Amino acid sequence: MDIGKFLKSPEYEIKITTYRDIFQAEAMERDRFGEEYKMLSAAISISKIDMQKMGLKPKDRVKISNSYGSIIVEAKETKKDEPGGLAFMVNSPWSNSLVSGDTQGKGIPEYKNINAKISLSKEEITTLEKLIAPFIKKPIPF
Amino acid sequence: MATCTGCALLCDDIEAIVENNRIKETRNACRRGAARMKGCVNRLVPSIDQKPTDIESSIRKTVEIIKNARSPMLFGLDNSTCEAQAKGIRLAKKLNAVIDDTSSFCQGLLIERILQKKLRTCSLDDIRNKADVLVYWGSDAQDSQPRHLSRFSYFPRGESRQRGYEEDRKAIAIDVRESNTAKICKGHFYRIPLKGDREFILALIEALSGKVPAYDTKKMLELAGILKKAEFGAVFVGIGLTYSIKEDFDILTALAEKLPNFNIMPMVGHYNMRGFNEALFKETGFVNRVKLEPKAVHDNKYSIMESLIRKNTDAIIVVGSDPMISLPRPVLTYLASIPVICIDPCISMTSKIAAVTIPCAATCMESGGTAIRMDGKVISLSKIITSEYMPDEEIMDRLMEAI
Repeated sequence: MDIGKFLKSPEYEIKITTYRDIFQAEAMERDRFGEEYKMLSAAISISKIDMQKMGLKPKDRVKISNSYGSIIVEAKETKKDEPGGLAFMVNSPWSNSLVSGDTQGKGIPEYKNINAKISLSKEEITTLEKLIAPFIKKPIPF
Repeated sequence: MATCTGCALLCDDIEAIVENNRIKETRNACRRGAARMKGCVNRLVPSIDQKPTDIESSIRKTVEIIKNARSPMLFGLDNSTCEAQAKGIRLAKKLNAVIDDTSSFCQGLLIERILQKKLRTCSLDDIRNKADVLVYWGSDAQDSQPRHLSRFSYFPRGESRQRGYEEDRKAIAIDVRESNTAKICKGHFYRIPLKGDREFILALIEALSGKVPAYDTKKMLELAGILKKAEFGAVFVGIGLTYSIKEDFDILTALAEKLPNFNIMPMVGHYNMRGFNEALFKETGFVNRVKLEPKAVHDNKYSIMESLIRKNTDAIIVVGSDPMISLPRPVLTYLASIPVICIDPCISMTSKIAAVTIPCAATCMESGGTAIRMDGKVISLSKIITSEYMPDEEIMDRLMEAI
């Protein structure tokens, strides 16, 4: 019997910043509901050293959540020897799911400064359809 | 030659190969530009309450919604021509509406100071011809404005820089990660911690003032030495720097004062965001976040973010923008609960929740006009293919007439 499946994966605190990627931007221009845009957006790049600390491997699915939202994305290892302590996501509706709406009255969200929890997950990668589903409804009659 | 509207570089050397009234191929464009010029796979259709209709019905429904709104908002126009922007501002005035654009949570802080002449700037052509020291700060141009280094900054053989990047130019990257641009700036990459820009600027100001900075002394003195020797320098301010120092933005002015041979260049994404900022600034003295009553009142509460958080707007016209994709999730619930009118060439996340959709022509492929490049230069956009879709300028006209 695989008792592992009953155990909750350990959860780690993670700090995330966002960046732009030309390949993702190209995919968005073509079809923001397409598979390519999803694969290039629903991912988090983590340094080798942090991946080891958290027991993650490239292509693992991970759950990233905080009080603003929760997403399942693919874990990737950063190409360069990043010093660790900071993970990276391409700016997208997936990363925006984790951004606070509180701007301290200034109007600029903290898109590049996200605190969240990360854990190994067996769930499917969050789709754009799933992200938008709670908002699709008949608008309030005017 | 065609002009690309993929970003605010507005590359005007694009060759478009047209076959059966479609752009089949492009030459000289970057990956993003080529994809944009070839067009999206899902064109928007007119709809009301997500049911397909005709354009005239969509326009009538839009007019009904905005006439009845107590506090309407016009948002976007960064992917529209200057001509459409001017008409959009007039429309907002007629509606006593709030008007805002993506610069509100992007480069607005920086562009405002440039237009107020608080920061010294120059043209991209000056940079190509004269610049010897280039600082990419919180900016990954290789991914966001992919032809920046090849057309204007690092690689060209400019008038006074015939030996280009091999000998005449030095490129520096200051960033929290080793971006693709940082990889090109070999040996001159300064990694800073997240939100560490302010501390870095303070230390750099100290080093430029002849003091010994406590922060990474050796590297800081080395950087100050390079900057001091520059004959014509440029700091390309990316969104990474803008976000990091947003609470104390004047610190950038303090740094610029210590760098008399440098110019500040805003690294702008949307192709005509600067056009919107300039048009609104000319009209009101502010670059964004304005309520036109019709007298212009500027306040942070008129930003798209604060308008949604405070639930101050009760109907919104979104032109060429996708706030459902670009805003934080916590504000989307309210956005999706009010009537949204989405004007766009393509299906977007915002069109999926819109009460009304109005498809428009894709600028520079299906309609022409002018736009303002990131450095303030006016660039002509000419139409390449014929289209059944109305340009957004015409849609603004139609809404004005009907109101």
